[in-house]
Amino acid sequence: MAGPAPTPRERQFLDPAVVARLGTLELKARTIVEGFLSGLHRSPFKGFSVEFAEYRQYIPGDDLSTIDWKVYARSDRYYVKKFEEDTNLDCHLMFDVSGSMAYGARGITKFEYGACLAASLAYLMNRQRDAVGLIAFDDKIVDVLPASARAGQLRNLLVSLQRLAPANETNVSKPLHQLAGSLSKRGLVVLISDLLDDPEAVIRGLKHFQFRGSDVIVFHILDPDELEFPFDRATRFEDLETNEEIMAVPGVVRDRYLAEIGALIDRYKRELGGAGIDYQLLSTAQPLELALLAYLSTRARAL
Amino acid sequence: MLSFLSPLFLAGAAAAAVPVILHLLKREPEPRVKFAAVKLLKRAPVEQTEKRHIRELLLLALRIAALVLLAVAFARPFLASGAAVGATGVTMIALDTSYSMSAPGRFERAQQLAKDAISNAPSGNLVGVVTFDDVAEIVEKPSADRVLARAAVDRASVGFGSTRYRAGLSAAVQMLGGHRGAVVVVTDLQESGWDAGDRMSVPESARIDVADVGPLAEDLAVTGLRSAGDRLVATVRNAGARTVEARLHLSLDGRAAGETSVPVGPNASADVPLPIAGRPATASVSVDDPHGVAANNVRYAVVGESSRSPVLVVSGTGELGRDAFYLQAALQANAAGATTYDVVGVSGSELASWSAARLRPVSAIVVVSTRGLERRARELVADYVNAGGGIIVAAGPDVDGDVIADVLGGTRLRVTMPADTRPAPRTLAPADVRHPIFKRFGANAATLGLVQFQRVSRVAGDGCQTLARFTSGEAALVDCASGEGRALVLASDLNNGWNNFPLHASFVPFVHEAVQYVASARPRAAEYVIGDVPPGIEPRPGIATMKDPAGQQTRVAVNVDPRESDAARMSADDFQAVVTRLKDAGTSEARIEARQQEEHQHLWQYAIILMLMLLALEGVVASRTA
Repeated sequence: MAGPAPTPRERQFLDPAVVARLGTLELKARTIVEGFLSGLHRSPFKGFSVEFAEYRQYIPGDDLSTIDWKVYARSDRYYVKKFEEDTNLDCHLMFDVSGSMAYGARGITKFEYGACLAASLAYLMNRQRDAVGLIAFDDKIVDVLPASARAGQLRNLLVSLQRLAPANETNVSKPLHQLAGSLSKRGLVVLISDLLDDPEAVIRGLKHFQFRGSDVIVFHILDPDELEFPFDRATRFEDLETNEEIMAVPGVVRDRYLAEIGALIDRYKRELGGAGIDYQLLSTAQPLELALLAYLSTRARAL
Repeated sequence: MLSFLSPLFLAGAAAAAVPVILHLLKREPEPRVKFAAVKLLKRAPVEQTEKRHIRELLLLALRIAALVLLAVAFARPFLASGAAVGATGVTMIALDTSYSMSAPGRFERAQQLAKDAISNAPSGNLVGVVTFDDVAEIVEKPSADRVLARAAVDRASVGFGSTRYRAGLSAAVQMLGGHRGAVVVVTDLQESGWDAGDRMSVPESARIDVADVGPLAEDLAVTGLRSAGDRLVATVRNAGARTVEARLHLSLDGRAAGETSVPVGPNASADVPLPIAGRPATASVSVDDPHGVAANNVRYAVVGESSRSPVLVVSGTGELGRDAFYLQAALQANAAGATTYDVVGVSGSELASWSAARLRPVSAIVVVSTRGLERRARELVADYVNAGGGIIVAAGPDVDGDVIADVLGGTRLRVTMPADTRPAPRTLAPADVRHPIFKRFGANAATLGLVQFQRVSRVAGDGCQTLARFTSGEAALVDCASGEGRALVLASDLNNGWNNFPLHASFVPFVHEAVQYVASARPRAAEYVIGDVPPGIEPRPGIATMKDPAGQQTRVAVNVDPRESDAARMSADDFQAVVTRLKDAGTSEARIEARQQEEHQHLWQYAIILMLMLLALEGVVASRTA
C-alpha cells in the first residue's frame, strides 16, 4: 500500500528530506511552521485560521493588547480577538522512540521525521500559547516533559527531542494507558508512531484517552519502503528491534506483505475513525505540513 | 559393459562442470537489510534458508547432469556384447589336422597339448578351437565354457589335407575379433606348412604361441606313382634316420598284383619299378609303415587311359625335335608329384584334318608357328578354346599375329612383329607374383629376370591381363579369356631363338605352370592332390570318377600332397618370424564391430531425451528458486 501521492499543494511544501538537513530542530520546526502559516494566509483554506477564530466587542477589563486596532480603524469600534484570548488546551505529544522508528531508506528515518513533526507541532502549539508536553516511549516511558505554556517550555521540549534516540522494542499500549491514567484534565493527545505493534492493544489504549475525555490524533508514520516493499532480489531482512533475521524472496512475498500492511492500515483507519480518533497515515516522503493541517483541523474541533 | 565410440567427448563433461561450480563459488550473498516491519514479513510465505540451499544444490545437480548427458550422447555410448568381446581376452587353439599328424600316437599328443593350452588360458579368457590343414574350420567359437572347447578337441580328427599355416592362423585371428588374446598353434612345425615367401599379419593385440608336437621319428611314404610303358614306377621316401627295407604292395584294378622290397636310405627316396601285366585301368602301390604316417603309405594312379595329359604343339613341320625341342623336353620333364604330359606335335596343315573329338582330350595347345594354319584349323582351335580349352602362343618368328587374332577373335588380340630386327636385350619381370603361374616360384620368381630376350613381339589385347613385362616396358606375357577357355601369349619364342629362356632353370617350371594354368579351365588331369580336387570329387585318396565338360566319364586318381611327407621342420622362432604384426588391423576390426553395435542400439538418443527432461525440470526448479 503506498502513501498518498503528493498533491500540487503538497509539492509547494518542503521536502522532508531537505528539512532533515537543516540545522537544529528548532530551525527545522520554525521553517516548517512559518512556511506553513504563510501558506495558509495565501490559501483558500479559510477555516483554518490560527490567529483569528472570531471577534467580540470590547468589554471594559479586557486586555488592551488583544484589541484589534485595524478593525477599530475601519469601524471605530473596539473588538478583541477571541481565539488568542480563549486558548487553554493541554497538548501531549506522545513520541514513539522504539527501535523500529530508526528505519529510513530515503534520506530520513521515521524517527527524524517524527521528531521534526513533534517539534513542528510543539512550535505551533507554543505559538498558539497552548500548553505542550512530551512523552517519549518505546516499550516503556523513556522521557516525560509535562505540558506547560510557560516561557522556555518549547526550548526544553526541543532539547528533549534532540536527546532522544530510537532503541528497544515497541509497546505502544502500555505508555498510552499510563498517560491516560495520569491525565487530570481533558486535552489533546498526539501520538506519533509507526504503530508496528498489536493493533488491538494500540486501539484499546487510544480509546482510554477518549474515555478520559481527551481528543486524540494519531500520526502513523511509515517509510515508503514499508509501504511499497520495493525489494527485487532475495534479501536477508533483519528486525531493527529484535535482530531476528529472515531470508525472503520479494517476488514470492511481496503480495502477501503488501496485503498485510494494507490490512493493518485499514484496520487502524477503520477502528480509530469509528472511535472518533483522527488517524493520519504519513509517509516519510510526504511534507510535514500535511500533518500540521490535520492537527489544526482536530484542534478546531476540540475547542 | 558400457563402452563409447568417441570417448574423448567425455572430457567435455568435466569441462562443462567448471563454469557451473565457479558460478556458485562466486555467487554473491544475499544483501542484508535492517527492516522495521519484519513482523509483517514473517506472515508472508518466507522461504527458509535451508530449503533454498537444498534447491540450489538440486539445480546444480540437474545442470551438471544435463551437461554430462550431452557429453555422453556425443561420446556415442553402446553396450558391448558378443562372445569375442569384453575386457577379458580370447584364446584360440589352432589344431593341426593335416595328415602328417596321423602317425600312431601323434594326434593324441596334439590333442593333449591342445587341452593343456585350454587349461592354461588365463582365467576369464574366452576359449575357442579351430582345426586346419589345407583349409581351416572353426569347430568351437570362443566362449567362457572350456568344456565345450575340450569336447571340440576330442571330436577333432586327422584328415588327408596338407599343412597350410596361413589358413589356420587367419581363421584363429579372425575369431579374436581384434581383442587382445593369444593363438596357440598345436602343430608339428612342418616347414612345408608355409608357402615360399609367405608372411602372415596379425594384430598387435594377438600373441602367437606354438605347441610343438615334436618331430616324426620315422616314416615311409609313396610319394610318386607313374606309368612307364609296361611297368609302373613308384617313388618311396624314407624320412627316418636309418635305412629301412621298404616292402611295397601293388594292386591293379583293386586286386593284389605283386609285392617287392627295396632298401631306402635315411632321409632319401628310391624309385621302385613294378611290372604290370595286361592293361589295367587303375593301380595303387602301398608300403608297409606301421610306425609312420598312414595317409602317405598308398598312392593311386590311372593307368589304362593315358595317365599323362596330352599337350598338342602346333609347329611349322610338326616335328617336335626340330621345331620345339626345348618345349618338348620341358613338358616331359619328370618331377616327383608333377604332372607329366604326352607331347604331340602337329603342323598347321595337318591340324586341319583333325576333328573336334580328337582335339577334345588335349590338355592344352601350344602354338609355336602359325604356318599352314588355315581356316579349318583356325576354327577347330577357336572352338576348342571357346569350349574351355587352353592355348599358349609363343609369339616368336614363326607366328603371324593376324592368325592368332583370328583364332582368339573375342579378345581382339594384337600381335605385331618387331620392325627393328636389331637385337635389344631385355629381361622379364612378373607383374603379379601371386598369379598361379608365378605363385609356385615364390621367392624365386626373380630368377625369371635372368632370362635375356633379344627380340620380342608386341602383344596387346582388350580385356587381357598383363602378367609380366619386359624391362623395356612392353607386355611380355598376357592372359586372355576366350569363351570358356584361356589363352596365354608370350611375346617371344620358346625355342632358344629370340631368347635364352630354355637354357634357364626357370624354363621347365614356367612351362609346366603355364600349361597347367591354361589347362585348368577344362580339367584334363588324371591326378589331383587332396587340396586341389575339383568340385564333385571327394577329397579322399583313391580313384574317382568325374565328368568332363564334354560330358564324358573319366577316371582320376586322388592322392595326398606328397609335400606333406617332407618331414623337414622349422623352429618355433622361425615360425614366429613368419608372422608379422600389424598394429592397426585388430583395432579396426574391433572398431567396426563396436560401430555396428552402437548403430544398432542408438543409446545416444536416450541420453538426449533424458537431458531434455532434466532441463525441463531445471527450468521449473529455477523459476521457484529465482
